[in-house]
Amino acid sequence: MSVQNREMSKLRGLLLVAGREIRVRGLSKSNIISLIVTVVIVGALASLPTILGGTDDDRSEIGLAGENAVAMEAQLDAIGGFDVTMYDSVDEAESAVVDGEVEAAVADGTLYSEDGVGAELQSLLDSAWQSATVEARLGDAGLSPDEIRQALTTEPLEIVSLSDESSVIGPLDYFTGLIISVIMFMMLMTPVQYIAMGVVEEKSSRIVEILLTSLKPWQLLGGKVIGLGVISLVNLVAMVAVGLGVAAGTGLLSDLPPGTASAALSSIGWWLVAFLLFGTLAGGVGSLVSRQEDAGSVLTPLIMALSVSYVGAIFLLNAPTSSFAQVLSIVPPFSGITMPTRMAVAEVPLWEIALALGLLAAAAVGSLALGATLYKRSVLYTGSRLKLGEALKRAA
Amino acid sequence: MLEIKNLKKRFGDKTALDGVSLSAEPGEVVGFVGANGAGKTTTMRIAMGVLAADTGEILYKGSVLGAEQRRGFGYMPSERGLYPKMKTGEQIAYFGELHGMTRAEAKRSTAELLEQLDLTDRAGDDVQDLSLGNQQRVQLAVSLVHDPEVLILDEPFSGLDPIAVDVMGTALRDRASAGAPVVFSSHQLDLVERLCDSVVIIGSGKIIAGGDVEELKAREVKQLRIRVDSPEDLTAALPGVVTRDGENYLVEGADDQEALRIAAEAGRVSHFAYDQPTIAEIFREAVKK
Repeated sequence: MSVQNREMSKLRGLLLVAGREIRVRGLSKSNIISLIVTVVIVGALASLPTILGGTDDDRSEIGLAGENAVAMEAQLDAIGGFDVTMYDSVDEAESAVVDGEVEAAVADGTLYSEDGVGAELQSLLDSAWQSATVEARLGDAGLSPDEIRQALTTEPLEIVSLSDESSVIGPLDYFTGLIISVIMFMMLMTPVQYIAMGVVEEKSSRIVEILLTSLKPWQLLGGKVIGLGVISLVNLVAMVAVGLGVAAGTGLLSDLPPGTASAALSSIGWWLVAFLLFGTLAGGVGSLVSRQEDAGSVLTPLIMALSVSYVGAIFLLNAPTSSFAQVLSIVPPFSGITMPTRMAVAEVPLWEIALALGLLAAAAVGSLALGATLYKRSVLYTGSRLKLGEALKRAA
Repeated sequence: MLEIKNLKKRFGDKTALDGVSLSAEPGEVVGFVGANGAGKTTTMRIAMGVLAADTGEILYKGSVLGAEQRRGFGYMPSERGLYPKMKTGEQIAYFGELHGMTRAEAKRSTAELLEQLDLTDRAGDDVQDLSLGNQQRVQLAVSLVHDPEVLILDEPFSGLDPIAVDVMGTALRDRASAGAPVVFSSHQLDLVERLCDSVVIIGSGKIIAGGDVEELKAREVKQLRIRVDSPEDLTAALPGVVTRDGENYLVEGADDQEALRIAAEAGRVSHFAYDQPTIAEIFREAVKK
């Protein structure tokens, strides 16, 4: 029976190649193990702030005695997070601190503790004491409890920043930005190397000659990029889902700045464009060499670009509003990692995001054309490494 | 019918092919013979669309060969290649699918080939874990998995063990009897002689001889060989230039009927025929010219 008349659509060839990559690489033991390990690490990292800051949940045990003790108790209740014990005398409160029954005691305007309390607790107790004292004095002056409450009720300060240079970054923002830049870097570095290695493998094993009798070069390159893209996307989505899921589970998500979840999600979009750029270029330069040991040398420029992006992103975490950060997060290919990182730590004007995305997408289209041309022209050439110029001059 | 017409190809200032033409009828096995570097691989690569010719064309069934038709061809390149880290069975089936088979068809065909090649119990092993000989068999399976309607094989017998040579030879003849044109190159001229209907000899990018195997042999006849059961030495009695080759007399430049008559008078003639050259001899002659 002849199979010649059976139409094989171009798409099917592309998908077959992609499918093979997914089967052979994505379902390989090493990939599955590394995915599990990475997901566990991301989960642990996401729950880290909760574990480290876990003492927040511990209630402070405070002893009260003497003057204003009742008013003080009311204040501490209003603040919350305190277990209050009332003592009959200052001496009793003092010995309760010495015995370790309570962490600290406030009595007659004195704060007793074993060896000082933290600055946070001290300022809380301080302001409670002040309010309690004021309340007691207003009562003494003849005001009713309602009047006192009215007099003491104030709205907290509304915060307005007048300068763009709101360069103060919360530790959680910093943490999110750090995770985004690390993951983006890894998720680009790994598949880029796999694509180049895969191209060289097909070239060095000469299997490419058989493949090209039934596939076009673009199907072979495109399928490889799509296949490794899908593998990486699954890894990336798994990491983001686990990261956000753990954050939501530990209640951290609501503590995070409002942009965090959307920054994490938009990273996936940035990754897609950046991957297209680096992936097709990796395939193109991979085809320049015929041996696995030469692959490193042609990949160097790509790895340099990725490393600069990553180092830039780390730098940018400390100065997200500097003009260096601004430029680096707009210029491709660096913007692929630096922009989502910057978006996580600072307000970025919409036009800058749009410009960065537009430039990155344009660069991706350009590298798609360049990578495919390089690949087509040099994939069947065997022997020593082809120079970039020679490859471009060669006829297909 | 597969026709390769007037191919020319230059690599830099080196002429690889200088007007190569050959054709294979349905059911015909064509042996493609030539010294190393004569242009066999280049011709086959161009036929398979892996390389572009400077000029010339490939026709199949009378029209220019397209990528879609070519997918039904079976090809074995001279540089063998397989994915080292892919399972044997999976790999053969993958190529079946690339050639347009459905997954189920590819799997069925793979199972049959593995059985034929005695590789069934290695189907789950990575190709890199197979011996070199077994890898060659897998290579063969890859070129046959999609039940190709034309076979173009570059040195299909090199590196094969005797069993695989038999399987390959049978496969070639089977495909030919099913009506497929088969073109293969080989340095093993005894195999070419045994398997081929016609031979094409290439030298320095040009076809220097070619045609039906029997005709070629007949065209290049050499001396008459006669064996007579007789105690006498007939060297002087026989006409023309006569030499002895063991029991046989080799006769050149004489009327064969006269030679037969003289031989028959001397005793029983147990052998009387013109020596035919082997393909190997024809090849050496052609290359010398």
